[in-house]
Amino acid sequence: MERSFAVEVEMLKLGDGEIFRGEGILAVTKALLQSGVSYVGGYQGAPVSHLMDVLNDARDIMDELGIHVETNASEAGAAAMLGASINYPLRGAVTFKSTVGTNVASDALSNLASAGVKGGALIVLGEDYGEGASIIQERSHAFAMKSQIWLLDPRPNLPKIVEMVERSFELSEASNTPVMLELRIRACHVRGNFTAKNNRAAPFSRRRFLDRPEFDFGRISLPPSTYAQEKHKIEVRWPAAVSFIRARNLNEFFPGDMEETGILCQGGLYNATVRALQQLGLADAFGASRIPIYCMNVTYPMVPQEIVAFCAEKRAVLIVEEGQPAYIEEAVLAALRRHEVNAVKVYGKGMLPLAGEYTGEVVLTGVTKFFEHAAPRGIDAGSIRAAHESHTGAKKRAAQLLGGGVPARPPGFCTGCPERPVFSAMKLAERESGAYHVSADIGCHTFATLPPFNIGHTVLGYGLGLASNSAVNTMFGARTVTIMGDGGFWHNGLTSGVANAVFNKDDGILVIMKNGYSSATGTQELPSSPHHSAHKASDMGIERTIKGLGVKWLKTVDNYRVEEVRRTLKEAMTSAYKGLKVIIADGECQLERQRRLRPLIAQQLGTGKRVVRVRYGVDEDTCTGDHSCIRLSGCPTLTIKDNPDPLRRDPVATVIDGCVGCGLCGENAHAAVLCPSFYRAEVLQNPSRWDTWLHQLRRAITGWLAPRAA
Amino acid sequence: MSDARPITILIAALGGEGGGVLADWIIDAAEHADLPAQATSIPGVAQRTGATTYYLEIFPLHRAVLGGREPVMSLTPNPGNVDIMVASELVEAGRAMQNGYVSPGRTTLIASTHRIYATAEKMRMGDGRFDSSKVLEAAHELAKQAFLFDMRAVALAHGTVINAVLFGAMAGSGALPVARAACEEAIRRAGKGAEASLRGFDAGFRLASGALKEDAPDAPPVAGKPDARVAAEFPADVQEVLSLGVTRLIDYQDEHYAGLYLERLKRVLAIDGTPAHRLTAETGRHLALWMSYEDVIRVADLKTRPERFERVRKEVRAKPDEPVVVIDYLKPGAEEFSSILPPALGAKFLAWAERTGRLRSLNIGLHINTSSVLGYLTMRSLAWLKPWRPRSYRYALEQSLIERWLDEVCAAAKREPQLALEIAECVRLIKGYGETHRRGVANFLAILDALVVNPATDDPREQARTVARARDAALADPDGDALAADLGRPVSLSKPVIWLSKSP
Repeated sequence: MERSFAVEVEMLKLGDGEIFRGEGILAVTKALLQSGVSYVGGYQGAPVSHLMDVLNDARDIMDELGIHVETNASEAGAAAMLGASINYPLRGAVTFKSTVGTNVASDALSNLASAGVKGGALIVLGEDYGEGASIIQERSHAFAMKSQIWLLDPRPNLPKIVEMVERSFELSEASNTPVMLELRIRACHVRGNFTAKNNRAAPFSRRRFLDRPEFDFGRISLPPSTYAQEKHKIEVRWPAAVSFIRARNLNEFFPGDMEETGILCQGGLYNATVRALQQLGLADAFGASRIPIYCMNVTYPMVPQEIVAFCAEKRAVLIVEEGQPAYIEEAVLAALRRHEVNAVKVYGKGMLPLAGEYTGEVVLTGVTKFFEHAAPRGIDAGSIRAAHESHTGAKKRAAQLLGGGVPARPPGFCTGCPERPVFSAMKLAERESGAYHVSADIGCHTFATLPPFNIGHTVLGYGLGLASNSAVNTMFGARTVTIMGDGGFWHNGLTSGVANAVFNKDDGILVIMKNGYSSATGTQELPSSPHHSAHKASDMGIERTIKGLGVKWLKTVDNYRVEEVRRTLKEAMTSAYKGLKVIIADGECQLERQRRLRPLIAQQLGTGKRVVRVRYGVDEDTCTGDHSCIRLSGCPTLTIKDNPDPLRRDPVATVIDGCVGCGLCGENAHAAVLCPSFYRAEVLQNPSRWDTWLHQLRRAITGWLAPRAA
Repeated sequence: MSDARPITILIAALGGEGGGVLADWIIDAAEHADLPAQATSIPGVAQRTGATTYYLEIFPLHRAVLGGREPVMSLTPNPGNVDIMVASELVEAGRAMQNGYVSPGRTTLIASTHRIYATAEKMRMGDGRFDSSKVLEAAHELAKQAFLFDMRAVALAHGTVINAVLFGAMAGSGALPVARAACEEAIRRAGKGAEASLRGFDAGFRLASGALKEDAPDAPPVAGKPDARVAAEFPADVQEVLSLGVTRLIDYQDEHYAGLYLERLKRVLAIDGTPAHRLTAETGRHLALWMSYEDVIRVADLKTRPERFERVRKEVRAKPDEPVVVIDYLKPGAEEFSSILPPALGAKFLAWAERTGRLRSLNIGLHINTSSVLGYLTMRSLAWLKPWRPRSYRYALEQSLIERWLDEVCAAAKREPQLALEIAECVRLIKGYGETHRRGVANFLAILDALVVNPATDDPREQARTVARARDAALADPDGDALAADLGRPVSLSKPVIWLSKSP
């Protein structure tokens, strides 16, 4: 695992009145323990990867409380696990990223929501939206609405997040409905503190078993139960939820003296809203605002009575709702119309953009516009505009000074990444074969679509690379190539991809990136990981699995041997064999490899053992500065520097500190016949007497042969 | 309403620079000082070598004074609302300014001046680097106070990571609401590598607080005395570059070859109508590089020089007592072999290789241990072929191309100096080895053929512009697509073979 929470999980043991300090996701975990859950699970993915990591690192604490912890096969698996709460009074929680995870889970989620739950069921969603997001930009809100799952969007500070996790279970049980709690990226990683409570052991757990199974046809997703379930949702569960939300004050009203206006915001955007008001001189640092605020910690279902009460006596309100479609704004408009509250003017998406993240700047600009348009009494629109300009003026000046903008720096393959050489080989193969279509997948390997490789024509979803290739493959005279990671393979590529391709006699080429972990999400374990923790089965090889499915053409290549990978690709493209051709590109995730090797090498060096450190380099006097090596690699440590030759102008290539000696640049120089500038240097640390003697002898002889310095 | 507001801190870093640890130190120091504090970040995929940020707020009033009131802290930085902007790299400081996070009345900017080039900058065929001076200029204008120095170098000198130096500079700037001792305590509490971090912190603190001055960068080398022949026969404004050329060619071949260099340039000088003899200087620069073309003899020579092994040792940071084995990656093929044959034989051999499709397949991948006796001898014996070079096929080929280019430069100089300069500059396209070199020569010849020999315009100024544009196009992409579009015809080396395995 990329990050260990071994130290942080100690915070999970805190009791009544003690102060918890730490990250948002760790606080959520603590809140789960305080709520007495019987089981937890999920599927990794930013921004809730660390939640899964925390759960795994906290197994001892979980065991003590009898909590079942599972890393599910996929988000669908995680959502299905919540089925334990349908018939039994078991509280359970799962987590995954949204909306892609929610997409995968939606079959199980629909069934769960229809059946309803007896024990509180919570889904912690990492809302992967805006800066730092790695997925398509959509809202989780739609899932809540279509399945009638309640959606919480708490104010982003730890006490409120913890409180909302606890209330989620109560709300779920009070309304027999699963609850989703969404946390935006920054809220997941916010560091703060709250006053802890004791952990609670669940009434039923791995330590205290259920007595007997309960059968209730009413909870089965089969007609006629399904008809009754839909009615029950609308007639019983929904009203129950609304009255719970009102009774327990889950949404918050913050008063202000300028009562003819108001702001309605999602809980998650409360802090940004207050900061904007503060910058405009309308609120202080403690949230005391001159404008009243209705903060919706529950964004679905909405509470019409509260909305009407807030808006009734006002001239204008602003809705701060991130993302599109504007479900909340439309619901507010509908509620006001139904209750015949027609005097208030509702501002929202006109003042704020329809699409995109609501960063501090966006909210500041939106709130400024609102005051200009609504022109409430007591506020001088001119001074509001001036305040806004004073904050944004420097940005305009910077654009003038920097001219054209600084170069973008998107994420990319790590130094020594085993996936990079495969794409080098694919680029080289293209020189001979001409361009070919590549169906890409989700994972670190998606970075290949960025420069310098620009490989991959489509991305359709996690593990869906091969499935997305099935039609397009038949439309080309030449074969197409599909990329899939081992994470995607186990997530669903095994069935929707490989099994289906064999079944349909697909003639494509599949390259499986076997780096051993779910690397993009933080190197979590997979069934085929080379190293397993004690609580996982070992040795579920991809090769055996694929052979078992009937794949006849299967080759495993060492990624770093670029020429061999290129040759194997060519073979797959030109082979007379009709059927799925699978190339397993084998190379362990370098992050994980270095994490393992670094302490080992440090220890060897410390005890005086001989260690050979390998580093690559470029001879600056034979490099002519054409950078074709960089266009074939993109390694962070293969970069450029000023040309030391006074006659040359263009920068030369150079290898900087941080090179892990993977050898790709040398391999590329050979495979692509680039140039003779690359060298491998083997530094003999703690050399043996023989090493030193040989070195001295060699120096003496070569020194004698060497040209005299001019 | 209260007037107090949080101190806001934005840290821009690249993956793997310890930005998260830096945020932890700051929060820990603030919490131990009993100040409310909050930090957020956006890890995710940004960690994978991309640019990322950490955002912190510290409320400058002690909890004891606040009496249970909790400040509402923001999770995102707002333009015009950042007190301390920290950037671990120069262009990241530029990005922060671009986003409006550095404002004159408010922001203390702390940034390292070193560059880590983005892929977009590195992969350009010419020089795609962003102009650092723009960032420095903007920093001085936009920040309330700016602390800019090479913090990576400081970190390296103190055996630590850049985050420690940044933290020290923050404390030293006086903008952090936490005292120096509290910051150092936070580093100690974090444990791991604390001693090294404290050294870096101290250096950063002293550099920012003015107690210590940054080492001046190495002074540029002073030009030596000009070569006697150059001094006698060429004007002062070209003597430096031509002397460099002469030294290079004596080193490359011999005095005689350097003489040829100067003879060729005399032709150019005679018709040079550019101010400060720019045409002679630029032609002289390119001519020296072209005449010292990189053949196997040259490469073998450069790779077996004692100073090369010293440079390698320095680059890989080998300690004095550590032996270093140097293995060279070479892949000579038909072209390299033919280049040292006599002209007639070389041409025949190359034609045969091309005809039979062996231009690529004859390459042999070699890993030569140049630090071993046998490997060294192999390489050195190639270098010993130097006296043979003027009788080789490659020599004949290069000299005839050089003469052709010089003829065009001289012919153009008589019509329009700018046109001559642009043609001279086209030699920039010829670099690299193997296919890269072939592509460069093909582009060069295509421009010569289409725009110099058969220009579409009679106006030499317009012609100069078309040559310059085509040259830029040739440097725009490695496949010659932009150049082909500019010239209106493909510049092709050899057609790729399409692998067709399926029958419809």
